[in-house]
Amino acid sequence: MNILLSLIILLFCGVCDDVRQDVAYITDSGHVEFTSRVPLHTFTGSSDHLHGLIDFDENLVDFYLDLSTLKSGIGRRDRDIYRTLNVDDYPFAEFTGTLSTSFDQNSSETQQVEVQGEFTIHGVTRNVTIQGTMQKQGEELYLTAEWILNLEDYDIEPPGILFYRVNEEQELRIEATLNSAPKEEI
Amino acid sequence: MNVCKFANFGFTVFFLHLVLLVESMNAQLPRERADADPPVDRLFWASYSIGISTVESVSARNLNSTVKHTFGLVDGGIDHFFGLDDGANTRLGLEYGFHDRFSMGIGRMTFNKLVDMHAKYNILRQTVSGSTPVELAVKTSVGINTFPGTGRDFSERLNYFVSVMIARKMGNFSLQATPMYAHFNRVSGNNEKQLFGLGIVAGLALNDRFSLGAEYLPVIGDRNPGTYDTAAVTLNIDTGGHIFQLFFTSSQWHNESFIMANNRDRFWEGEFRFGFNIHRVFGF
Repeated sequence: MNILLSLIILLFCGVCDDVRQDVAYITDSGHVEFTSRVPLHTFTGSSDHLHGLIDFDENLVDFYLDLSTLKSGIGRRDRDIYRTLNVDDYPFAEFTGTLSTSFDQNSSETQQVEVQGEFTIHGVTRNVTIQGTMQKQGEELYLTAEWILNLEDYDIEPPGILFYRVNEEQELRIEATLNSAPKEEI
Repeated sequence: MNVCKFANFGFTVFFLHLVLLVESMNAQLPRERADADPPVDRLFWASYSIGISTVESVSARNLNSTVKHTFGLVDGGIDHFFGLDDGANTRLGLEYGFHDRFSMGIGRMTFNKLVDMHAKYNILRQTVSGSTPVELAVKTSVGINTFPGTGRDFSERLNYFVSVMIARKMGNFSLQATPMYAHFNRVSGNNEKQLFGLGIVAGLALNDRFSLGAEYLPVIGDRNPGTYDTAAVTLNIDTGGHIFQLFFTSSQWHNESFIMANNRDRFWEGEFRFGFNIHRVFGF
């Protein structure tokens, strides 16, 4: 009986595989931007090396960024940022989670979405919920999201400039166009 | 028996879940560094140790502004406020990074009203993995003595300089050897038209805010009469926006050619002076 049940389950899994889409959406050139504030001064850093994967079948949303690709326009400040984030030991900022709202893949309208999962930076992982938008554009998926990252939550000491400290709250924004690709090629 | 069957069934379901979980985990993107072999960061804290250039480069589209200041000898005592009352030599400089490895700069100092222009290229970058064990840079410079009323024509006012900077960082300690050559189109008295030197620069990072540095510049071969090898020590302070260098040095000059040619004070005999450099980088 148990063998029969197992076979049914296996068969069910196989059927599920058959009805799954064989594509996922992927990028290696997403845009990330952060805004830091100190009294009387604001600076922005960015990277165009955001890697991302969205697989609707597996309900998987997976993004990561090599933090050493962040540039703020001043090389010396970039190196300060890398030291603050301890990039040598923790080179990536990562998010792995799931879509917690539905997304209509047959619509080309911009849709509000929400993802839930684990965000890791500086070796510290927190559960987060992030709101954003997604829009299907032919074979592409356009995604935007914004949220606030609190440095203290991730044991990151805000760097100081003389008597000032960088605000603990960093405004993060991502923007990416993900292309459909056969899963076996990912 | 039923218990056994149930356990068997449970194991099968658990195994299937495990297979699916592993499949799901494998679906994650593999994490890959953008630069698998990054360069070593911050061999030195500024493009000048004190008077000697370092391998530290100005990043692309960044402008490094520098103010260099030296005073009179400290041994002048309180009457001269330990040298601060005596004549100061100030150099204002700008250096622009056209590429992360290539920069050009211009500066002007009080003594000789000397205007100098230089280009610097980083040929090798020391890498974290050790695949490139040293940093290597080349600097060339031309200086123009613009002091009026000397009776010299334009070409007689020129001097040329070239140096090779070879450096390595080991933990918090960095060391640089700098073979250098200077040529003066016209010299006074028995001074040499050509000078060779071997600059030694050392740096020790104490933390993210403070580091210590030292440099020693012996002239190799023939030298100008009455001149001595230059030595200097510095405390570097990184305030986040600026790098301050507070130092004691035997030479009052601000570039290698004239440090080799004109230093007449002996550091080890207590003949040194206070000075400071300030570096500030702007992005464009």
